[in-house]
Order: sequence, then C-alpha cells, then structure tokens
Amino acid sequence: MLLSSVIIILREVLEAALLFSILIALAKHSAVGNHWILWSLALGLVGAIIYGMNLSNISEWFDGVGQEVANAFIQLFIYAVLVIYMGVQVYFKDQAMTSKYWFLVLMIVITSLAMTREGAEILLYFFSATRRENHYVSVLIGMIIGASIGISVGFLFYYLLVNLRSLWALRIGLALLILVSAGMVSQASLLLIQADWLPAQMPLWDTSTFLSEKTAMGQLMYALIGYEATPTAIQASLYLFGLLFPVGIIALVNSKSIAYNKIAETK
Amino acid sequence: MSYISHYSCSKKAFISICCLLSLSFMTRVYSATPIINIDIRNHLFIPSEITIPENTKVKLIIHNYDEEDEEFESYELNREKVIIGKRKGTIFIGPLPAGEYPFFGEFFPKTAQGKVIVE
Amino acid sequence: MTLVILSSLTLMIFLSALNGYRDSMAKAEQLFDSELIDKARLLSLSFSTQTINTQSNQSLVQHKISAITENDVFAFQVWHKNTLLLKSAFLPDTAIANFKTGFQDNNVLHRRWRIYGLYNKTNNLWILTAERMDLRYILAENIIMGTILPVVIMVPILGLMIWIIVSYGLLPLRKLSSALSDKRADDLSSLAVEKQPIELTQVVISINDLFRRLKVSFLREKRFASDAAHELRTPISAIKIHLHNLSKVIAEDDQSFSQLKQAVDRMGHLIEQILNLNRTSPEQYSKKFTTIDVYELAQNIVVREYAQFDIKNQQIALEGEHAIVQGDVFSLDILLHNLLSNASKYTPEGGSIMVTVSGNKTQTQLQVQDSGPGVPEEKYERLFDRFYRLGGDRHASGTTGCGLGLAIVKQIADLHHAEIVLAKADNSSGLCVRIIFPKEKLI
Repeated sequence: MLLSSVIIILREVLEAALLFSILIALAKHSAVGNHWILWSLALGLVGAIIYGMNLSNISEWFDGVGQEVANAFIQLFIYAVLVIYMGVQVYFKDQAMTSKYWFLVLMIVITSLAMTREGAEILLYFFSATRRENHYVSVLIGMIIGASIGISVGFLFYYLLVNLRSLWALRIGLALLILVSAGMVSQASLLLIQADWLPAQMPLWDTSTFLSEKTAMGQLMYALIGYEATPTAIQASLYLFGLLFPVGIIALVNSKSIAYNKIAETK
Repeated sequence: MSYISHYSCSKKAFISICCLLSLSFMTRVYSATPIINIDIRNHLFIPSEITIPENTKVKLIIHNYDEEDEEFESYELNREKVIIGKRKGTIFIGPLPAGEYPFFGEFFPKTAQGKVIVE
Repeated sequence: MTLVILSSLTLMIFLSALNGYRDSMAKAEQLFDSELIDKARLLSLSFSTQTINTQSNQSLVQHKISAITENDVFAFQVWHKNTLLLKSAFLPDTAIANFKTGFQDNNVLHRRWRIYGLYNKTNNLWILTAERMDLRYILAENIIMGTILPVVIMVPILGLMIWIIVSYGLLPLRKLSSALSDKRADDLSSLAVEKQPIELTQVVISINDLFRRLKVSFLREKRFASDAAHELRTPISAIKIHLHNLSKVIAEDDQSFSQLKQAVDRMGHLIEQILNLNRTSPEQYSKKFTTIDVYELAQNIVVREYAQFDIKNQQIALEGEHAIVQGDVFSLDILLHNLLSNASKYTPEGGSIMVTVSGNKTQTQLQVQDSGPGVPEEKYERLFDRFYRLGGDRHASGTTGCGLGLAIVKQIADLHHAEIVLAKADNSSGLCVRIIFPKEKLI
C-alpha cells in the first residue's frame, strides 16, 4: 500500500505545490505579502472537505459522469482565472500590487480551487484506505513520504524562481504557468472525453515506451506540462489552444502596456 | 502578434466545431455504445477480464459494492475515476487498437486488478 | 537556507527510501514466487514417487489438508487429465486458473491469488499452487516497513539537527551583524575579536582597522574645527577690547572705525555660530534628554532677547499653551535664539513677530512667524545649507549674518527627530517656520 499511497498523494500534492510555488514566487515580485497563502490553504481545505463529502452525489449527475464534468469545469475555471492573472501580471509588470485586493483574490481563487480538487481526492483516499486496520501504518507513511516529496519539489522550485533575476523570474514563472495551465486544459478535455461529452478518438501516438506516466519523471511532467503518453487529436489540439491562448493574451497585453507606459512618459 | 490572435481565433472556431461534433456524436452513437458492467466486491474487479471489440467505444458501468471508495485507474487506457463506496460510476473507453490494457483500483492496487482485452 | 537544505535532503532520502522499498518488495515477491514454485515441485515429486491411483493415500492427504482454514495464505490443486485429484479443502472443484505453466493472477473465492502452474509430463499432472496476494503483500510489507519507518522518523530529527547546526554555525555572523547595527553613530570603538571562527576573524580585524582610522580622522577634524573656533575667540575678544579703547580716542562718527567695529562683530558672531554648529553635531552630541516645557523656554528667551526687538521697534508676541518635549535645553535654546534673531533680522522696523507653541498627544509644535518679505518657495530647500544666504552676501534687509543660523536649527531639529516645515506666514508675506517634535518616536 505504501507505494500506491505515495503515488496518489504525490500526484495530487505535486500539482498543487507547483502552482503554489510559481504563484508565491511571482507574488514576491509584485510585493503583495504572504497573507493570501493562509487564506488559500484555509479555503482550499474547507473546499476539499465539502467537495469530497459531496462527491458521491456529484458523481450521480449527468448519468454517472458528474465527477468528470465537475472536475473538468473546475479545471477550465482555474485555467480562465490563470489567464486573467497572467494578463494582469504582465500589464502591471514591475508595479507593486499592494493595494490591489482583487489581484490577491485572483491568486486565492486559483490556489484554493486547485487545492479543493486535489485535496478532495486525498481525503477520499485517506478515509478509504485507512478503514482497514492492517493498512494504517503503511498508508500513513506513504502519504507522509508523498506529501514531503511533493512539497520539497515545490519549495526547491520556488527557491529557484526567487533567486533568478527579476526579469527572468517573471518570464520563466509565466512560461511555467502557461505550461501548467495548458496541462489543465488537456486534463479537462480528457475528463470530458471520458464522460463522452467530447468525441472519443483513437490515440494519435503512444510515447509510453519513451516516458511512461507511471514513472516519477512521468508524474512530474504530467504535473508540470500536462504530459500525456497517448493523447487523442482533440486533446492535443485543445492542449495547443490552451498553450497559445495565454501567449496571445500576454503578447496583446504587453503591447498595450508598453503603449500605455509610453503615453505616461510623454505626458 | 496579429498572427497569434488570428491563430487563436481559428482555434476557437475549431473548438466550437469539436463541441458541436461531440453533441451530434452523443445523440447518434449513444444507443449503439455497448455497455459492460463491472462489479467491485471485496476490492476485486468482477469480472477481472473484459473483452471488447477493436475501434469501438464502450461504456463501462462500475458498481462498487464495498464500503470503501475505489479509484478506477489505467495509464494504458488513460482513465481515472473515483468510484464512491456503495455507488456506481460510468466510464467511456475506446476506440482502441487491439491489445491488452491493464487497469487497477488505485486505492487497493494489490487485489483490485484487471485488464481490458481489445480484439 | 535551512529549508533549501532540508527539502533537498528530504527529497533525496525519501526517493532513495522509496527505491529501496520497491527493490525489497520485488525481492520479497521473488522469494514468495520461488516458494510457490518449490511447493509445486514438491507436490509434483510426491505424486510421481507414489502411484496416482491409490485411493486410500489420496483420501488420507485430503483429510489432512482439510484442516487448512480459509485465512491461510496457501492453496493448491492437483489435476490429472481434467480430473481433480487433490485440493485444499476450501477451494472449489473447478480449476482456479488456466492450465498454463508459469505465474498468473486470478480471482478465486473473492480473493486475489498468485497462482503458479506446473506440468508434470511423466504423469500428465497439472499442479496449481496459489498464494493470497493481499496476505503475502501485507507480510512482505510488514517486514520492509521495519526499514522504512526509521527513515521517515529520522527525517524530522535530521531537519531539527540541520536547523540547529546551521543556526549555530551562523551565530557569529548574526552576532557580528547585530553588534554592527547596535553601534551608535558616534561609537567607533573596536569590536571584540574573541571566539570568532577563522573566516570571520579577518573580517572583524579589517572592520576594526577601518574603525580605528575613521576615528582618528574624525577626531582630527572635530578637534580642528572646535580648536580653530576656540582659538580665534581669544584674539577676537582682545580686538574688541582694543576697539573699545580706541573708541575713546577716535571720533564716534569715523566711518572706517564703525565699519571695522561691524566687521569684528560679524566675525565674533561667525565664530560663535561655528562653535554652536560643532557642539550640536550628532557625532559630537551625547544625548542627555530631559523633559522640557517649550512654552516656558520660549517665554524665557523672548524676555532675554527683548532688547533686540525693541531696538527695531518690533512687536513680539508669544501665544499657545504649555507643551512638553523630550530634549536638550542647551541646544533647544540655541534653536529658538537662532529662529528669533532670524525673524528679527528679516522683519523691517515696526514689524511683528509671532511665536506659537501648541501640543497634542502625538506631537508638539513650535512656530515662528515674521512679517518680513518672506522667502520664495523654490528657495526653501537651500535655506538649510551652510553659509547660504538669500540673495547672496548682501541681503536686501541690509543686515549682516553668516548663513549658519538655519543650518544649526536643522541640525538641532534632526537631533530631536523633529520635522521642519517652511510656509508663508498666516497674515503677512513673511516666513513661517514650524518645528514639529514627535512624542512617541523619541529614542
């Protein structure tokens, strides 16, 4: 049970930890303080408990695929907020966002929703797997190990980003966020395919011999760039869209922001 | 810049077409989709081996008769779904090329094992 | 820093622990598997040495086997050409797996079994030995958990140790930095070198060397300014006495004589101001603050300097209330004196000067307004520069001065962490100087 509990927890924690670490690192450059993290964690925990408790009812929706649909829409919602967040971040580039509470709200929404989704699964697993006495210790240890690895990777990531020069930190942070958010679109599309809300197709290719999703590296790539070994055409094209849409938004906002700055300068 | 926005516009169109397609798919193919039932009892998949035809979409209905939740998981099938205890869940799989696709219950992986054989 | 070390360590330790766990589990699986193979071979051997058809023998074995409970890990079936010869009692009469050599996993009796198939060619026997996967997994895991558990427990202990070691290692650096930040501006004494690690000793020695040189040059400068001013005082006094004596000889209205007198007065004033500037400089000043009523102080000074205003026929008024300030009497006296004499200087004859003192919970305000021509706003900043005089050396008012008055005021205000605000006077074109002493922030 240890290995499987490590994998389950690691997968969920890693996704949330990466999102958290990138946002915290970017927040450092916008000088908004760290209060919002506590809010995110608290809201995320409450959200996870509520979502986990109601998952059995949600699953019954839409002829038994409510879980997929709900998860997909949470993912797409996080994606949308992330795109807005990135646009705002680029628009105000170097300015401190201390007084902009709605900016904090964006970050809290993103992280707490991500935590809600990932946390619900962890809670379900915990209560299912520990119901049997003889699994208790190994499941618990597996969860500790999985969570520690996930959080450590997140922290090292954060450390790396924070120690980069300001401009590069913003660029790399945004690039990572774009990849993570594209991964969310791909996950959402996979869930919708699984629920038969998007047409099912034959997989385009199979790279599992090259990098299997079962391996630790595969898990990291899944969390970081939404890696899939056997994507279908719809999934791949949605991933591409998920990647290019924020790039387009950022380019658009950037040109606006530069123009705005120029006007401000000439004034 | 204009290139990118143009590109994303065409993508949007593509997505809406995809969505329309999926709706039409749902209404047309739904009745024809074969249904296979799998039970989860005592952390076992029963039956633990199912055979489905090649290039066909199949609807799996998984009934979990245990108290505990289970997560249907398969890297090969690219599927993942929590099946709450005493409830059932629906998963669509395929169309797939011929081969063996193992799946397992992620919460109790040592006993809940099975595979989909595509012929 | 500690966190980075800790998270990298955690990552490495847990990943290697996981690797070890996976390897050990694989080894354990192999062990269990080979046991299954051995048991199958044993069964096969025992059947080939005995005659298969001995019914009595078979029933005897079957009877013994039936003692096996359902919770047992092991089960088997022996088949001969599709007829079941022997089995564990709880197993069904149907084959528990396909007749296939090697391992396969299967569901039997609501359990998952690991099943090994062995074909005995000589007797045409199929032997299926099976082991419950969940039980043998738990068995293996319990053994391996013994090695994983200490690692998991060790990590927080390791974290605590790293934290202690790193903070202990950085302690001298932290001490040095706090020793440096605690130093007062005028404290240029050496730092203690004792018990520093080698890496820091050189730093401390270098800093101390720097301090020593800085101190020497500071002293030299300080001594020069005050010595020079002090030394000049005596000859000036002598010159003043000689002038006084001369005035008895020379006619009162002699022009060059009165100009000489003015020049000497001005020089005396300049030296006095330079001395004041030096005495109130923060490097020089040892803070011995007492509680002072600004209103009372202002009252005393107005009375003392009344003659000055009277000569120019100016009106001076003091308004306000008693207000307390933590400060130094001597320097505040100089501050007020300078402000008042400035006001008097730049106010034409018959003008008026207003001193206001007010206070509330957070601050005390001292305000001096004159009815002179005032100062253009863009010049406010420059007023505090040393030796700066509005409109160059000859001021429109025709009064003499050295341009140090407000520089000294500024220096004293800084000493009290007070803020100086310049503005236009309320009722005239004159200048309003407002000095705001904060109440809580005083050190």
